[in-house]
Amino acid sequence: MTGSARSEIFARIRHASRGAGAEQIVGELRSLGRAPAAALPCDDLYTAFLVNVLNNQGTVDCAADRSGAVAAVGKYLYEHYRTHRLVAGNDQRLAAMPWRDAGVLPRFGALEPGETVAMSYARLGVAELGAVVTFTGRANPAANNLLAENHIVLVDGAELVPDLEAAWATINMLTAEEGRPRGINFIAGPSSTADIEGKLVQGAHGPRQWHVILLAEAGEEIVEKAREIATPG
Amino acid sequence: MQQHSENFLDNASEALGNKSQAEFRDLMALFTPLVRDAAVQGFEGFDQLRSHVKRIRQHSLDNLDHYLDTYEQHALENGNQVHFARTGDEMNSIVLDICQQHQATRIAKGKSMVTEETGLNDFLQRADLEVKETDLGEYIIQQAGETPSHIVGPALHKTAGEVRELFLDKHELGERDLSEPADLVSEARSVLRRHFLEAQVGIIGANALIAENGYSMLVTNEGNGDLCANLPPVLIICTSVERILPRAEDATAMLRLLVRSATGQPQTCYTSFYSGPRREGDLDGPVETHIVLLDNRRTDILASDYREMLQCIRCGACLNHCPIYTSVGGHAYGWVYQGPMGSILTPLLTSLEQSAALPNACTSCGRCEEVCPSLIPLPELLRDLRHQEMEQKLTPSRWRFGLKMHAWLARHPRLYQFFTGLGIPLLHLVGRRRGSFRRLPMASGWTSQRDFPSPQGKTFMQQYKAGRKAQ
Ligand code: SF4
Repeated sequence: MTGSARSEIFARIRHASRGAGAEQIVGELRSLGRAPAAALPCDDLYTAFLVNVLNNQGTVDCAADRSGAVAAVGKYLYEHYRTHRLVAGNDQRLAAMPWRDAGVLPRFGALEPGETVAMSYARLGVAELGAVVTFTGRANPAANNLLAENHIVLVDGAELVPDLEAAWATINMLTAEEGRPRGINFIAGPSSTADIEGKLVQGAHGPRQWHVILLAEAGEEIVEKAREIATPG
Repeated sequence: MQQHSENFLDNASEALGNKSQAEFRDLMALFTPLVRDAAVQGFEGFDQLRSHVKRIRQHSLDNLDHYLDTYEQHALENGNQVHFARTGDEMNSIVLDICQQHQATRIAKGKSMVTEETGLNDFLQRADLEVKETDLGEYIIQQAGETPSHIVGPALHKTAGEVRELFLDKHELGERDLSEPADLVSEARSVLRRHFLEAQVGIIGANALIAENGYSMLVTNEGNGDLCANLPPVLIICTSVERILPRAEDATAMLRLLVRSATGQPQTCYTSFYSGPRREGDLDGPVETHIVLLDNRRTDILASDYREMLQCIRCGACLNHCPIYTSVGGHAYGWVYQGPMGSILTPLLTSLEQSAALPNACTSCGRCEEVCPSLIPLPELLRDLRHQEMEQKLTPSRWRFGLKMHAWLARHPRLYQFFTGLGIPLLHLVGRRRGSFRRLPMASGWTSQRDFPSPQGKTFMQQYKAGRKAQ
């Protein structure tokens, strides 16, 4: 059935298309230029990213280096869950972190029922959206993004980009090197819904909390400034 | 989904009679444009963005054969099975076949207007499959046995109290506190989590298909669509041929318009791109993925003067700003798509005969066109459909006769002025005391809903001439 459906649909579309050659089409597309992006809430890329994360109902922290990041995670886990446990994908960058220094006990793999906190290392962050981007795979199983109650995401300051166009330039480069991952996920907030009377409720089907830790020098100052500018609804 | 658009006028009258629902709609009509306006004002180059995306979409549709072909190649390369469906029935059969091949009994479904259009749920349920909608709004109306009242917020016509009653009735969970919307969301989360984990097939829609890499884009706030796409071993993406865009950056340029126009957010929580089945070494994800591409008359629209309608991104802004939609609500339209976009799509995707009332459900106020992020000339397309109705003699003969008379008179200015010169003073004389008419012969349809103000003594032309003379 689908074979003849395919040729019929293609024939009908061809009939309504203009029959331009591939080269001409590529040229025309290029001449259409680039879409305007949303303005950033401030000039500094790092601060702008954190402002938008806060506006997206995320919580933020920062660390100057890996030991600082581990300490920040340890503190966060203890304060919120009185635990030292979390789940993380088999990400080499996460595996190389000095977890023991902060007494954190990560389990590497996909989140199992009963586990509450998962941690990912973002491939990049997009300031325009206040979003982190992860790729599915061994380094970041989908379950960790979706089934945890609390999703902690570490993002490198050097891997922040201003807007979506820059994000795709980076992603296209990464996928050309590594192959296309099954899923590319832009995450911009804890899961939420406004389906009942238009009232926003956090924690629909995915994580109820979303905590972003920015790896950057002078992070403290950036976080403070971001909190001043942010206007989470 | 069963169509009953032919009952639009009766449905509308009934809806207007339900006072509390009408008040709730009035409230939403104030609230939703406000959030959209704030979001749009927060984006400086919104008009420039609209024009940019419009050009891209036009380019994509003009070269759809090229882009569909490129998309298909990449989707196959990514490990998908790609299916084509000419009609809704074909799509439903393809999906059922896949489910049966895997002996699936439980299906987790994300929000998809295309599958609402084809009536997929009923079709699968008739074959004894348990299909659960997982978007909260869709889940609520599925449990209530209702249909969506809005393409973005399908259950926005329900109050929290009604949802509470529904959950108490449908979920056997004993005594519990469901006083806040958050309690209701939490309950749906836990009930559906089990279903997600047990489902053998996930079905989702797509907001865009990307030709250059074969990915499909899925935009949600709840994360339910992502759970459908990642947990069950088989994933089926049901979408339609006009969703194709050349590049990933085109899809996300459109996303900027979509989020602001639909919910007034600067960004939705989850924007995901899926390429195909689990890769070697992956710990999770579906092992088999299918993409089913529906035509259902879209190629007819592509070849017609209504082509621009294929640029609709299903944001719902035209519904939220339409005086008719906000008065009568979504159910009056009698099918999957409502408001201005529905009044155009329904006749085009089904038949003008069945939905002749819809293009007339328009005051020509132009608000829909003003807010449409895809810059679709909605009032113009509605007018063209009305014109087509006249030509196909679908308009009641009384109306046609009246309109013809009017057209004839309008072409004969002297006669026109003579008759109006008689009629207007007469109406003025009769109605002057009350200032308006409750009823008028031959215009009962008009006066049944509102009073007709009595004209002031002279016609426009008489006053105009007098004015010129005086100068
Ligand atoms: S017609 Fe325009 S405003 Fe209406 S849903 Fe489609 S894109 Fe949105």
